[in-house]
Amino acid sequence: MTQPILVLDRVTKRFAGHVAVDALSLVVPPGVIYGLLGPNGAGKSTTIRMIMNIYVPDGGTVQVFGEPGGRDHSARVGYLPEERGLYPKMRVLDVLLFLAEMKGMDRRGARAKALQWLDRLGLGDWAQRKVNELSKGMQQKVQFISTVLHDPDLLVMDEAFSGLDPVNSQILKDTVLELRGRGKTILFSTHIMEQAEKLCDHVCIIARGKKLVDGTLADVKRTRSGHHVLVNFDGARGDADRIFADRRLATKADVSGQFAELELAPGADAQQILQALVSSGARLSRFELAEPSLNKIFIDLVGPEAAHPDMRPEVAHA
Amino acid sequence: MLKVWAVVRREFIERVRQKWFWVMALVGPLFFGAIILLPQLMLRGGGVKNIAVVDGTTNGLGQRVTAALDTAAGLDGHRVFHVARVPAGPQVIDSLRAQVEAKGLEGFLIVTDSLVDYGRAEYLASNVSSFTAIETIEHNLAQVVFTLRLERAGVDPAVVGKARLPVALGTQKIAGGKATQESAAQGFSLAYFMAIILYTSILIYGINVMSSVLEEKTNRVVEVLVSSLRPFQLMLGKLLGVGAVSIFQFLIWAVSARFLLSRRGGGGGAPQAGQVFQIPHVNVETALVFVAYFLGGFFLYSAMFAAVGAISSTEQEARQGQQPVSVLLMVSFFAMFAMINDPNSTLAVTLSMIPFCSPIAMPVRWAAGNLPISEVAASLGILVASIVLVTWLASRIYRVGILMTGKRPSIPELVRWVRTA
Repeated sequence: MTQPILVLDRVTKRFAGHVAVDALSLVVPPGVIYGLLGPNGAGKSTTIRMIMNIYVPDGGTVQVFGEPGGRDHSARVGYLPEERGLYPKMRVLDVLLFLAEMKGMDRRGARAKALQWLDRLGLGDWAQRKVNELSKGMQQKVQFISTVLHDPDLLVMDEAFSGLDPVNSQILKDTVLELRGRGKTILFSTHIMEQAEKLCDHVCIIARGKKLVDGTLADVKRTRSGHHVLVNFDGARGDADRIFADRRLATKADVSGQFAELELAPGADAQQILQALVSSGARLSRFELAEPSLNKIFIDLVGPEAAHPDMRPEVAHA
Repeated sequence: MLKVWAVVRREFIERVRQKWFWVMALVGPLFFGAIILLPQLMLRGGGVKNIAVVDGTTNGLGQRVTAALDTAAGLDGHRVFHVARVPAGPQVIDSLRAQVEAKGLEGFLIVTDSLVDYGRAEYLASNVSSFTAIETIEHNLAQVVFTLRLERAGVDPAVVGKARLPVALGTQKIAGGKATQESAAQGFSLAYFMAIILYTSILIYGINVMSSVLEEKTNRVVEVLVSSLRPFQLMLGKLLGVGAVSIFQFLIWAVSARFLLSRRGGGGGAPQAGQVFQIPHVNVETALVFVAYFLGGFFLYSAMFAAVGAISSTEQEARQGQQPVSVLLMVSFFAMFAMINDPNSTLAVTLSMIPFCSPIAMPVRWAAGNLPISEVAASLGILVASIVLVTWLASRIYRVGILMTGKRPSIPELVRWVRTA
């Protein structure tokens, strides 16, 4: 097996009074898209900051490219922090050049690549404008360019998709997939499971600073799969609530509006549920035996208090 | 290191590109000029004053006094009074009083024969705190009385006239074993001028460093930066970059001042005696002392301002946090006048050794009086050692602070930040 890009070994970080990250271990193999998943306050950002050597762990070790983590690797790592921002009064190209210099690029090489990226993302005419003249979406693009401009081998993005409009979200996704296609490794954190499920090869779910599960997405799904039933209603719900509450049929039911995800009780037959629903007058547009969704796994693991991660209205689900 | 250089370069270019830099470059000299000329304008009495001399004398003394005052010139070389002689008589005092109250007359002087014998006269005016007016009257009365007494004693008026030729005291500052052609007024102007420029520049550029730190902190660029270079390198780059901007600003001022003075004709001929503010002669040593202490003060205070920026999360917090630092700088600024008066007093010597005061105190002492080079060296040594110490402390606070958000840390927390490795 090839050498992992990133290894965290029992990494711990304490802040005044509480443990933000508790003996967290994970391994990121090369060439994958790795999702660090968890509810708000789980310790995702703290973990990422330790990977980026912004915080020093109180315990454990971080290894990047097989060596102790540190700023020496900054030329090979791109980082998009959770809270976004650029120098508002600087010109777009100057910001990109400055940040590229921070990553150890020389200005001339950086200039050519920056202009290339700006063209590619439709900002070619804006290179000499000030950052604060750009729209929010444009600024997000500029910031994204700044993280990939030096062609890093490892791209680390904290809450990668938060605050992106659908167009930018799609651009980001395409670029991330393209980077993986070129053998780059991408680690990103999110609390939006739909995003992670579509993009990630590997996932690690953490809550309250501790790892709950990790592995390839397929493995995580397989080990967690009971018999799952996905139900979509088409208007009338019939006696659905009573049927779902019957513990002889379903051990768990996650209902939201017109959609429900059920975990079959041991020995129960999905057809029984279907029959019961139809005869109670429910109209169904979908009844499917399936693997659990990542969202379902997440909620099961993390607990009902985190069942509704704060879904900001501007968050896109492309 | 290349990354530090990139930070220096960004700070420099972005600042020099801003409008305010060029506004400062152009308006700065006007501002400093105004600060320097204002006290002079305020000392000036504001135009020729109408006064009356109530003549109760019998031997022509009244006429002499009137003539002397009418032609008297003040410190600035302008005529001070417009004088009318009024013979003494009943009701005269009352009517003059009424005129003074009606603002038709500034005041009136009563002279009688007793002036020569006992040296007494009386001045009644709406404003008796006018320095120029009182000084002029006293001086001229003394001259007239002096002449008259000598004449009474039988001295030839021609001899008296010769005896009254004024003495001009030429002052020379002894510095470094050689005397320089420098008047006391020039020394004072130089000290005053340097103190004001040092104070405002250290404050302005220090606060520049602070807002630059705060900007990176609030827009979170700092996370990206700190993952690429050490916080100390970042802080160092900022200090050097903003410092370079300030030096550039001084260069612009110096070049434009030279240009303007040369246009005016060789730096302005012989200084007029009695003028409080004069364009001082700035030699190379003085310029070196100025630059050395400016840089010292800038680095010392900017490191502190950087730490303040790092522990603040909003502009408002930063404004509050910078106050103690600014007050520290203000102490030596306000002590300036005492130090100019006696550059070798215990106060002056002490302040010029305390690193937080020496950036202003030492140049002021240097301009005002002759200083042993050993004292300057000692003061600079202490200053440099303090910069190292303060920068070290500030960088430890900075390192933790730039990544913290939320409430401002307490003093015990700051101590813990400094202690933890």
